[in-house]
Amino acid sequence: MNSAAKTKKLERKLKKLQHTVLRETGMSCDLTPTKNIVICNAGLVNGLSEEAIYKHFSQHGILENILLLPGKSCSFVSYTKLQSACNAFETFNGKLNIAQDNKPVYLLYTSSLPVVETSKTWKNLPPGLLILEDFVTDEEETELLKLCDFEKDSNGMKNRQVKHYGYEFRYDTNNVDKDKPLNEAIPDACNFLWNRLSNTYGLDFHPDQLTVNHYSAGQGIPHHVDTHSAFEDPIVSLSLQSSVVMEFKLDNQHLCVLLPRKSLAVISGESRYDWTHGITPRKFDVVYTNNNFTALERATRTSFTFRKILQGECRCSYKSKCDSYSKQVNASIENDAASRLEKLHVHEVYENIASHFSDTRHKPWPNVLEFVQSFDTGSILVDIGCGNGKYLGQNTSSFSVGCDQSTGLINVCKDRGFEVFTGNCLSVPLRDDIADGVISIAVIHHLANEDRRLQAIKEMVRVLRVGGQALVYVWAKDQCKNEEKSSYIKQDRRNRKCKDITSRDGAVDNEVSVLQGVSLPVHTNRTQFKHNDVLVPWKLKGRSESDNVFLRFYHVFQENELPGMCRELSNVEVVKSYYDQGNWCVILRKV
Amino acid sequence: MKLLTHNMLTSKCMKGVSVGYPLGINASDVRVSEVDFNPDFIARMIPKLDWAVLYNAAESIGQLEDLPKDLANNYENDQEFLKKVHHVLLEVDIINGELVCPETGRKFPINNGIPNMLLNEDEV
Repeated sequence: MNSAAKTKKLERKLKKLQHTVLRETGMSCDLTPTKNIVICNAGLVNGLSEEAIYKHFSQHGILENILLLPGKSCSFVSYTKLQSACNAFETFNGKLNIAQDNKPVYLLYTSSLPVVETSKTWKNLPPGLLILEDFVTDEEETELLKLCDFEKDSNGMKNRQVKHYGYEFRYDTNNVDKDKPLNEAIPDACNFLWNRLSNTYGLDFHPDQLTVNHYSAGQGIPHHVDTHSAFEDPIVSLSLQSSVVMEFKLDNQHLCVLLPRKSLAVISGESRYDWTHGITPRKFDVVYTNNNFTALERATRTSFTFRKILQGECRCSYKSKCDSYSKQVNASIENDAASRLEKLHVHEVYENIASHFSDTRHKPWPNVLEFVQSFDTGSILVDIGCGNGKYLGQNTSSFSVGCDQSTGLINVCKDRGFEVFTGNCLSVPLRDDIADGVISIAVIHHLANEDRRLQAIKEMVRVLRVGGQALVYVWAKDQCKNEEKSSYIKQDRRNRKCKDITSRDGAVDNEVSVLQGVSLPVHTNRTQFKHNDVLVPWKLKGRSESDNVFLRFYHVFQENELPGMCRELSNVEVVKSYYDQGNWCVILRKV
Repeated sequence: MKLLTHNMLTSKCMKGVSVGYPLGINASDVRVSEVDFNPDFIARMIPKLDWAVLYNAAESIGQLEDLPKDLANNYENDQEFLKKVHHVLLEVDIINGELVCPETGRKFPINNGIPNMLLNEDEV
């Protein structure tokens, strides 16, 4: 291709991308030079990172801003000087291969950057976070590092090395064994920190638990909230050897905070209880300071995180992240209350909505269908909680029998010619060891406490023959896994485009008193779940507002909760555990 | 309700019941309708059945025809025998009636072919 043809091609390409950028961000861009460059064909969606932009574009001058938008395939770079932007533009346009599949980027200028609420910002600290810079001296840093030698004792984790003092933090239970203190308490050599905190800053803090984390350059820690019931407020963390960027997230807010070497972070209140924090694994951070971006290469970093064990339960007001609150809700739903709750907010609701519900439940889920169809001729399949029977006629060489609590739904099944009976999943009226396969799809999340959910699984296992398999689906609390939104969330058109579904999460869940002494939050349909035990509204069409909304009880499951329960049983093995369209799923085999 | 289902049902989940099997049948309305015959299906189903329970159930509702009391030897290849089993297992439907717990006498109604096995709170 000659150079005239090349220019022509580039022009056509840019013309097309101009429209894409306008449509995606509402920003108009063209060839008139400004300090702001739009990278038209590469953004977060196709894998472009802040670091990659920084690495190349900082070669041409000081960067004032780097803007990557969630869910977009374009991004923005601003220079402090016009000349820098022009140089970068000339050098990179159509030539720098950092777009998807190592394709070249295409650039245009824009007069200003889009104003966004959902992107990462550096402007603020989360409420309650305090960074005390230069809290220790170089000499003190050296002395502290001597306390804990990671070359010798390496109880390595995937991300980093860890050592505990006072009490062990157990990553399997996300808590500490409060009645099993370790032999090694927090070293006395740390005491000067509390004196300094008290004398200089007026903060009284006397921790009894220390976790030392040793990160190699490039290692990180996944986003988390320190378990509410494990520790008091605040959490205090000292950064040694290297600075690092810690990210804090709450709903659609995403704040980046530089933790400088030798600084002490005091994480309290909202930042401790409601915000998650984490460190992205990468070799260098792009840091925004003094109105421009710089790169900060990470070295080995050691953090000393000091906490005080909480005696008793957490009483914070940040309920959606509070394990004590969940536990208290769960405990209040004792067996009697649980069965009344299920009667009112599951059984009676399904009777009322049966025909509408059935009309909306036609399409079998592919993975369930595959399981049902995997059984040989002459197999006995039992569908516990069969609803309108959408899986009952799917394996014609087997004998399928369905069971449901709802008379309305069971009648629908019978009208469709299926073999069914009315029954409850807590006491399945079938012989032991009779079924080759059992399915229970979207059923046990309607049971109001853990004992009952486990009892339902025991019943499935009881009716299975040895070697037989059961498939269980339950609704997941997390409706957005690996950046993929579940179809439940996507049914609201507003959720399809924006990547971050929490951005629609402004609504506060109301609490409704369901039984004496038991109140539950009402979930906002088509949004991410905030609580484990919720009421989910079902709206019937064509009736007046007051009598057309029914509240169904759900316990939405955390990751690993379902396989964890199954492993409590000695006569099953978990064959497979997976996430499917907003559901947690397990395949069990009776042994 | 087909007799194959009856062969699997029990009242053992009731408080105070230990076996709850087999359930007695009082049938007031029995219907017979033709179902496609799959000999392989029947041959593989037979070992999973409680044969005596099937035999007695069929007898109690007058649908025995000439089903033998004992399993035939080499039944896998006996088309005539398999056909008789097929009939009893799948073609006979109890539309109305009741199932009866052998230990407590608790009755479970069958309406429109659907046994209602739901228990009251005080029964579990």
